[in-house]
Amino acid sequence: MSDNYEPNIVAFLCNWCSYAGADLAGTSRVQYPANIQVIRVMCSGRVNPLYVMNALQQGADGVLVSGCHPGDCHYMEGNFYARRRLGMLKDLMEFVGVDPKRFHMSWVSASEGHKWKEVVEKTVEDAREAGPFEGFRRRQIDW
Amino acid sequence: MDLEQLRKTAAEVVARDDVKYLIGWKKGSYGYRVAPVFVEDAAGVAELIFSPLCTANLTTYLTLVEKTPLPRGQEADKRKVALMVKGCDSRAVVQLLVEKGIHREEVIVIGCPCPGVVDQSLLVEKYGDTEEPVEVKWNGDGFMLVRGGEEIKIPRDEVLAEKCRLCRYPNPVISDHLIGAEVEKWSPAEDSGVSELDAKDVDGRWEYWEEQFNKCIRCYSCRNVCPLCYCQDCILDRLNPTWINRAVNFSENTAFNISRAFHLAGRCIECGECERVCPANIPLGKINRKMAREVREKYGFEPGLDPEAEPFQASFKPDDPEDFIL
Amino acid sequence: MSAMLLNKEKWPEFVKKLTGKNLWAPKLDGEAMRFAPVAEGEEVSLDYGNTRVPPKGATFPQTETMYRFLVGNMEIEEPKMDEELVLLGVRPCDARAMKIIEKLFRWDYDDPYYLKRRELVTLVGLACTEPGLNCFCSSVGGAPDSSEGLDLLIYDLGDRFLLEAVTVKGETLIAETKELLTDSDASAVKAKDKLMADAGAKIRRTVDHDGIPEGLPGLWEDPLWKSVSASCIGCGTCTYLCPTCHCFDIQDEVEGFEGRRCRMWDSCMFEEYTLHTSGHNTRPTRRERTRNRINHKYNYFVDKFDVIACVGCGRCINLCPVNIDIVEILRRVKEAL
Repeated sequence: MSDNYEPNIVAFLCNWCSYAGADLAGTSRVQYPANIQVIRVMCSGRVNPLYVMNALQQGADGVLVSGCHPGDCHYMEGNFYARRRLGMLKDLMEFVGVDPKRFHMSWVSASEGHKWKEVVEKTVEDAREAGPFEGFRRRQIDW
Repeated sequence: MDLEQLRKTAAEVVARDDVKYLIGWKKGSYGYRVAPVFVEDAAGVAELIFSPLCTANLTTYLTLVEKTPLPRGQEADKRKVALMVKGCDSRAVVQLLVEKGIHREEVIVIGCPCPGVVDQSLLVEKYGDTEEPVEVKWNGDGFMLVRGGEEIKIPRDEVLAEKCRLCRYPNPVISDHLIGAEVEKWSPAEDSGVSELDAKDVDGRWEYWEEQFNKCIRCYSCRNVCPLCYCQDCILDRLNPTWINRAVNFSENTAFNISRAFHLAGRCIECGECERVCPANIPLGKINRKMAREVREKYGFEPGLDPEAEPFQASFKPDDPEDFIL
Repeated sequence: MSAMLLNKEKWPEFVKKLTGKNLWAPKLDGEAMRFAPVAEGEEVSLDYGNTRVPPKGATFPQTETMYRFLVGNMEIEEPKMDEELVLLGVRPCDARAMKIIEKLFRWDYDDPYYLKRRELVTLVGLACTEPGLNCFCSSVGGAPDSSEGLDLLIYDLGDRFLLEAVTVKGETLIAETKELLTDSDASAVKAKDKLMADAGAKIRRTVDHDGIPEGLPGLWEDPLWKSVSASCIGCGTCTYLCPTCHCFDIQDEVEGFEGRRCRMWDSCMFEEYTLHTSGHNTRPTRRERTRNRINHKYNYFVDKFDVIACVGCGRCINLCPVNIDIVEILRRVKEAL
């Protein structure tokens, strides 16, 4: 790993809370690491586990999924499904040997610009510790 | 196991007008092999067997039959399918009912309480393979191998399949006809395969699975044999979007295996078929059992027991664990 | 072509000589043997049954990059194929299979990838002394000591090996290892003949294919196909592990602006194999797919190339999860004729 290694993080943010929260962080001029690539989805419950896998295969070193706090989902219960599924995915990936530091999930509401900063800092720091995820890259192998 | 009773019941079932066929086991083409058989009339009933070699989970055939477009004016065959199940297989039937993959009125379940089946590869390893027809029977606490007139007693632990050592449901959880008496449950062994891996650190596990997944030839027999892998449009076959590339390399193989295991999380009934059929000997059962364990311990859910249950991944509880959330 | 003797004591040295040339040999991997690269100084044992996965991947890799490209760019970059490969311990059936599918890759169009790889690979065979349970090579034109497709054939005579060169490549190998070898003698040849006669007698399964290639078209709608395919689960085990199955699929894999076109094994047992864009499937059920597998091997290939595309290695029988037994199917075909 080189000294100036910067991890790539793909973040799936729900339209109604976390995306707005990240937006608030921006408009409030809260400084947070620029390693995050945001993909807006309508709900954290829409995040297919394959998104996470594909992000890692295509060059992400870490993935973050963020949604509304339980009970605050715009679609009433989408984040509850997400919590169950992605919790399982995290366990599964950990069992297969994917560093749990590479995958995080958080609840960030539209008013939590500062929490967003903390979440991103933690995600980036963890991914930095885990290092580049070369072993799982598509193109790394006989491309 | 009472073969007389089995054949008698089977004959009665296939004789019914509303039954298409009965799926059971018969002696295979040689040696220890056992093959699935589709019995359509009373004459075929004589072929049916139930022995410790009947490892295959026949539930998979319920969803495997292709539904081709019907010629105009022709009606679909709505007759029932009768099916022989062991304890583990019956859980697959229940899980299919939960997911509405099948409907209760479409199947007749012939339950066979199962004292545990043998792992054919262990049998071959210890007693050699043979092309002559042989018989393996339950014999008290163990098994009996009858080969060329010679009777060999085999201790139970020597050849018992791994899934049976861990089995918690040897008796069918659902059945219309039960053949013979229920067997006494045994205390399941500790799942050392999963625990050993759990004890390793993340890198150690990655190394382990890297070696395993590199062997995968992507024949998809694990998917096809699985009674609960029955999507009409599997992500592995789909090209737009291409979730998993067709290329066979470690990255795609891992993505495939993780997806497969994830789709079965909270659904897998631990019949062990994926691991049995894998031509590359990848211990797929370990991943499935690990997920089943997580689901059981963290979420208090066990698939394939209650036909009225809600599917695990399509439901939630407000107090599901969320200690992993930042 | 020359025949030489190699004392078993000198075997490690012989292997060592070959490791300089990108040597692959069967190695035990878990429960099964498979071909894997041999590092220098590593031991190679020829004491094994056949490998689980046939060595067809040496000439027909499961995934082969045909070329790389940049999206929007007209230029392509072709992969370099210049590494020579020596396969040690190839069974005669598998080598024969390579010769059989070579006919297809040379048919209406010379396949550059296959033929190039075929040129680069040297097949050092090992004659079978202990045929497997489901071997039936002698029924389909092969033999435990068939040298078809091989460059060099090794016979295990107990305390020594007899090496027989089959092609120029084999001669070269012998010439390169000359100092380890001694001249063959009459006793060795006699021992070899006896060994092979014994091996042939040990083959227990037989197929009587007389009349099958001509008869198969007449059985197109026979109910037998329905019954033999009923238990098929539609996986690719039989085809992927078959040394003569050679179907492939071509895909473009693009990521960002970089892409590659590659071809990979495909299987006629998959539903997707014959699925048209329109949604129509010409082989809609497992019945048609199973029928195609048998017809391809025993009829179409015979029609075109005058050879049965089955070498009797028995892998599809050994590893079919539901005991679909090609010998049994052929017996039923024969009955139905």
